[in-house]
Amino acid sequence: MAPVVEVRHLTKRYSAEVLAVDDLGFTVDAGDVCGLLGPNGAGKTTTLRMLLGLIHPTSGDSRLFDTPVRPGLPELARVGSLIEGSAFVPYLSGITNLRLWWEAAGTRWSEAAVDDALAIAGLGTAVERKVKTYSHGMKQRLGIARALLANPDVLVLDEPTTGLDPQEIREVRRLVLRLAERGVTVLLSSHLLAEVEQTCSHLVVMDRGKLVAAGTVAELMGDSDRSVFVEVDDNDAARRVLATVAGVTSVEDEQDGLVLGLDGIDRPALVALLVHAGIGVRTVTVRRRLEDAFIGLVGEEHAR
Amino acid sequence: MIALLRTEWSKTLRRPRTYVTIGFVVVIPAIIAFALWANPPEPGRGEGFFYAATQTGLLFPAAVLRVVSRLVLLVVIALFAGDAIAGEANTGNLRYQLLRPIPRGRLLAAKLTIALGLALITTVALMLTATIAGGIAFGFGPLRVPAFFVDQSAGELLLHSAMATGFVTWSLASVVAFGFMVSTMTDSPGGATAAAVGFGITSQILEAIDSLGSVRDYLPLRYFDAWTGLFFSNRVPDDVYSGLLQPIPFIVVFCGVAWWWFRRKDVLS
Repeated sequence: MAPVVEVRHLTKRYSAEVLAVDDLGFTVDAGDVCGLLGPNGAGKTTTLRMLLGLIHPTSGDSRLFDTPVRPGLPELARVGSLIEGSAFVPYLSGITNLRLWWEAAGTRWSEAAVDDALAIAGLGTAVERKVKTYSHGMKQRLGIARALLANPDVLVLDEPTTGLDPQEIREVRRLVLRLAERGVTVLLSSHLLAEVEQTCSHLVVMDRGKLVAAGTVAELMGDSDRSVFVEVDDNDAARRVLATVAGVTSVEDEQDGLVLGLDGIDRPALVALLVHAGIGVRTVTVRRRLEDAFIGLVGEEHAR
Repeated sequence: MIALLRTEWSKTLRRPRTYVTIGFVVVIPAIIAFALWANPPEPGRGEGFFYAATQTGLLFPAAVLRVVSRLVLLVVIALFAGDAIAGEANTGNLRYQLLRPIPRGRLLAAKLTIALGLALITTVALMLTATIAGGIAFGFGPLRVPAFFVDQSAGELLLHSAMATGFVTWSLASVVAFGFMVSTMTDSPGGATAAAVGFGITSQILEAIDSLGSVRDYLPLRYFDAWTGLFFSNRVPDDVYSGLLQPIPFIVVFCGVAWWWFRRKDVLS
């Protein structure tokens, strides 16, 4: 089966200096929850907008449901989206906003999954109020309700938790997981590693318009014991000991410790070995490749 | 297309600004009627139209249209045109409409229809209020000025007012088309409105410079005041026919550019 979302050699150049997306390629299969992760300015929003036919790519192409994307593509009706915050007509009530938006395409209001969408948005009687009285969080929830009206097969959420409080962020996260259980394919962008780590099955990491890494969260986050970071009281002695151990495939200096590649030896055995050799072990931590890479990209304070 | 027109009208008719703007326009004839009724002009002094309007209230709408169309009506119509696409882009709603998905050409056609419809509604509302206010103040009689061979019955005056309404709206359609075109290019509705007002005023200023000669024949508002002849002659002046043709090339070109531009536009708002 063809992927639900497919992006190939996608490039967007706004001007001679600004290359927003550079030869990007990735796929999202049906049922995946894919996180598009990258620092601010990485080109995530531009990518999503190209995928939805709002922005014309300079070159390359993107496909939705195995159909080339163009503006007004009928298949877009199967996609629910929230792009850079929700926007509504301020002088109309929440429910009127949803209704007029829905009916504008010639579809009947009775065909919309209204009850379901409103239950998920959880706005209660506030949907009867004018949108201009809404808080940012309420607008965002109404935006999610709008995205769900069509019972979409794909949900595209661009930074869905921006501006929400921790409680609301948790709700959005639960919502995404609930939809994923129903089989909805989700593509969500974020600059927060923690957010995508907790909700996504797959990740596409980008920086400065380029693909950095793509794969399952398990692959990229590397929770296996394949690579560890150790801090010991005597690096030189440790290096000499480790050089003789068959299960240690590589030893590299990093800051005050050593990064070890392991194959066929687990952490307890490694610690026992070092202690046995008379080397004091301060810490042993699993090296999470993506996290390091991501922190390297965006800086410690922004990554979490 | 019909569904989209219906939802767009629904939005427009529920919008407070629509009423405030049109309300502002219709108050003007009421104020002028009262002022004129309280201070009747003397024959041969000041604006001839207003002197004649005190003879019959049915000429009053023409007098009002003559003064209001040049700036107030122009600005209000430019406002509706400038807001058409840029207003949606400004609030961010444009992207959600396009993602519904509504094809770009269809959205453009619906928005243009709304802008033109609002222009017509505004002019009609202005003329209706003027007819009522003028009639109350100065009666609903015929217009007779034997010295100038003017003799129009009440029915003829009403017919000519209706024709003037259509003519002025149609003349301003070139301004609507220009404002609409700019509206597809910017996310600032105010900017697009200002551009349309500037377009209309520039045409009027150039029109006033006699030395431009025949160049003026190509101005969009060249025959803008031609309709006034309807009230002083029993045949339709030639300039009215020219005025009906004048906006067509402007509308075609501006709408064509709008369509070309909007189809290629990267929606970043």
